[in-house]
Amino acid sequence: MRSESQPDYMRRLKLDADELANRRRFFGITQEDLERLGALRPVAERHMTSIIAGFYDLLLEHPRTREFLGDPQLVNRLQRAQQSYFLGLFDGRCDLAYVEDRLRVGHVHERVGLPLKWYLGAYNRYLQLSAAALRKELPLAEAQLAEASLQRLVFFDLALAVDTYVAAQIETVARHRAAVDELSTPVIRVFDRVLLLPLVGTIDSARAQGIMETVLKRVSDQEAKVMIIDIAGVAVVDTQVADHLLRATAAVRLLGASTILTGISPQVARTVVELGVDISAMHTRSRLADGIELALSLLGRKITAAAS
Amino acid sequence: MVSSIPVIRIRDTLLSAIQGDLSDRVAEAFQGDLLSRLERTGASGVLLDISALDIVDTYVARVLVETAQMARLMGAHTVLVGMRPEVAATLITMGQVLTGIDTALNVDDGLALLALPRR
Repeated sequence: MRSESQPDYMRRLKLDADELANRRRFFGITQEDLERLGALRPVAERHMTSIIAGFYDLLLEHPRTREFLGDPQLVNRLQRAQQSYFLGLFDGRCDLAYVEDRLRVGHVHERVGLPLKWYLGAYNRYLQLSAAALRKELPLAEAQLAEASLQRLVFFDLALAVDTYVAAQIETVARHRAAVDELSTPVIRVFDRVLLLPLVGTIDSARAQGIMETVLKRVSDQEAKVMIIDIAGVAVVDTQVADHLLRATAAVRLLGASTILTGISPQVARTVVELGVDISAMHTRSRLADGIELALSLLGRKITAAAS
Repeated sequence: MVSSIPVIRIRDTLLSAIQGDLSDRVAEAFQGDLLSRLERTGASGVLLDISALDIVDTYVARVLVETAQMARLMGAHTVLVGMRPEVAATLITMGQVLTGIDTALNVDDGLALLALPRR
């Protein structure tokens, strides 16, 4: 049964009957393979304990994995899960329920943070131990056939495990991306009808699009007359970034407001001129403070010293 | 000539709120109407309010720019007011920056801009 917290990998990986048939074909898993493995279930049950023990020997031999398995309760739980996983290989089936079960196994390992390299290395040990057991029990020719069947199914499983890892990573990246996007356009109201957008970091096309949308929306919502964009924190100002800024300026103008670009370092000034970008349409200032003064003067106001 | 877009005179300024589909016929009638009003009243400013427009395609953009140019030839200063953010974003994406036409956030700001000494 799928726990509630587990993401729906079946849907996300588009694992339907078609995809399952495709995968089985690609990995060369035939009905014959499954029947052969199913018939070996008694053998598997007999050797299960020693194979899993051998498997844990590998994990406990290595300092890093040993450290990982430091919690005896975790080891206990894993061992039980391991048994059901192992016997699952000899169920003689490879249907959607089987796939779902395999995805769950991958998910659990991803969740506890087991690196993929150990996961793959451990699978290898699994195959070796199983092959050794099969050779003890069966005539060589039959053992080889069984090994081949087992290998196909194990590789099929591996692909699913890797898929869950990748899917989880993609999701993590998407989540971070959303968090960064939220933080990437902090528009501040510095004065009546004057907004400030301090930009920090790298500006790519996707972010530039977001910046444009936020800036226009805020200018319109707050009826701003001046939008100050401070680029002191922007890592690289190249032609593309300059172009994005120019487009934002043009769009802000269409709404009826002005843009002031501040935080222009000597290096940026040099780059912009060397790149031949025409920024004559923009108000620019080196320091943010000067930008704010310019903004106020556009509003017909100015900062004066207090009368003493 | 009568168009379906009303032109309202406020002191020295003509105000038009453009809405709905701007067909060829309506656009032409509107331009004609606006220009003859300019001739009759000698107004020095024109405010084109487009806050009701969800979409401004290249055709509408051209009509707006041309209207402003025509008004300028007759001695009036045109300000485009109330453009929606999504309209601005789309125009920029299309590379349409409406060169040569002044803009303001709303009618208030537009009137204030027209009241400034001519540049």
